[in-house]
Amino acid sequence: MTSPGQAKSPPARWLEYVGALTIQFWTVIRQLRHVFPFLGKPRRWRTTVQQMYAIGASALPMAGTMSFFTGMILALQSAAELRRFGAMELVVNLVAVAFTRELGPLITAIAVSGRSASAISAEIGTMVVTEEVDALRVMGLDPVEFTFAPKYLAALITIPCLTVLSTLSGIFAGYLFLAFSIDMSFRVYVQRAAEAVQLRDVGLTLVKSLAFASIIVQVGCLEGLRVHGGPEGVGRSTTLSVVKATFLIILVDLIATGVFYAMGWSAVE
Amino acid sequence: MTANAGERVICIRNVSVSYGSRHVLKDIDLDIYRGEILVLLGGSGSGKTTLLKQVLGLLKPDTGTIRINGVDITTCPESELAAIRRHVGVAFQEAALFNSLSVEENVALPLHELTHLADSTISLMVWMKLKAVGLADAAKLFPPQLSGGMRKRAAVARAIALDPAILVLDEPAAGLDPIAAAQIDELVLFLKRAFHMTVLIVSHELVSALHIADRLAMLYQGRLIVVGTREQFLANAHPQVRKFLDRTPDPISRGIAEDFINSYLRAG
Repeated sequence: MTSPGQAKSPPARWLEYVGALTIQFWTVIRQLRHVFPFLGKPRRWRTTVQQMYAIGASALPMAGTMSFFTGMILALQSAAELRRFGAMELVVNLVAVAFTRELGPLITAIAVSGRSASAISAEIGTMVVTEEVDALRVMGLDPVEFTFAPKYLAALITIPCLTVLSTLSGIFAGYLFLAFSIDMSFRVYVQRAAEAVQLRDVGLTLVKSLAFASIIVQVGCLEGLRVHGGPEGVGRSTTLSVVKATFLIILVDLIATGVFYAMGWSAVE
Repeated sequence: MTANAGERVICIRNVSVSYGSRHVLKDIDLDIYRGEILVLLGGSGSGKTTLLKQVLGLLKPDTGTIRINGVDITTCPESELAAIRRHVGVAFQEAALFNSLSVEENVALPLHELTHLADSTISLMVWMKLKAVGLADAAKLFPPQLSGGMRKRAAVARAIALDPAILVLDEPAAGLDPIAAAQIDELVLFLKRAFHMTVLIVSHELVSALHIADRLAMLYQGRLIVVGTREQFLANAHPQVRKFLDRTPDPISRGIAEDFINSYLRAG
């Protein structure tokens, strides 16, 4: 597909990579309508449902557990400080706000990128090596519509759902800590958490998780397409896809958070 | 045997391809006539896979034209290329079957995707194609459960699913034992007889090529050095053709082998 730029400088290579990613993104977006239920082709929607299970549902235990542990760590760390000021109940605000705004989508994205970006690039890379991509093209089938678009739609649907569930799991870990340390009741915890979190935070988080879903699938697909040099190439691309996806997730998170801050959307009303 | 007076199905003119400064194909002219089996021979790195990808429209040549049924596939829009591809069935070297689908689902895939036939019709057609390649009993198996020869035959079954006028086979006998390779040869001859397909085979298997080909063409270092019938090919005096026929190694490779053996003996 694209020739690897050996002689180019690192910034040029990154620019070329982001360019290729953007072109692929638009190509996939244009094919997305063929995948929708009722509007598109039923067989693509069936593939999408399988992908929703592979990318989303089966990642739930891992993403949920990671968020639960992080929630517990955050509660323990902050409690050690807040106890000195006699403000233990502020742990609720800290955990709830940190998870809704930041840790929920980030931890989910990192968990899914580790599982799915690698799986996607391995799958597409193997298809390239075994000429399955060529076979699709000579059959008159578009590989983008056939394989990329169902994965992308599946990620767009399931990753925001996963984000919500893993955020709840992190916040629940905070509750368990407070229930055991200062006997806070579930009712009070939920009430305080609900006061601390604004609806706008939830909205912005979901926007972020859509961006993360895009990064995971697009990087996975592009790395897969760029495989060259047989089965070893597939292994290399698998590693690269996780590294690049995780890096881009954190970079985009920084940019998005910066923009939200500059627009005044992070301020508490 | 088809005479050269037949109708041209694939018409390649002045096709050149280079990767950077390396010329992979130089001024290729080749016609393939309706109903014939043309075997394109060539050693590793002779450019035969590149030429095949040009004919399939997977790569575009730097210069030259490739016409399939009169349409220039190097310049036509993607929609027209898709229409042409409906008449071309391809079996790739590594079979390129989808591992997540069973054999019959693989064969049914183009029928489901590109036609509006009822499921019952499709399953009947799939059964017929699998019967034709001798895999009717293996319909429910998955590609990893098949032997190399069965995989190749399954790939041929998928290639002929839409009853193409042109069948393209990339190295159909590579990596197969002589019996499995002979089965593929018989299958190709059967398909030509039964369905009057035009067949283009890319291969380096001389014995099988001489057995099934109506005409042979040979690529060497990006150039077509011979195109002709079996008799013309066997009588050709080009040194590379003689080497290919007599299995004589190139002097360089023999030199490397001797150096290697000498260094090994010295080390021992």
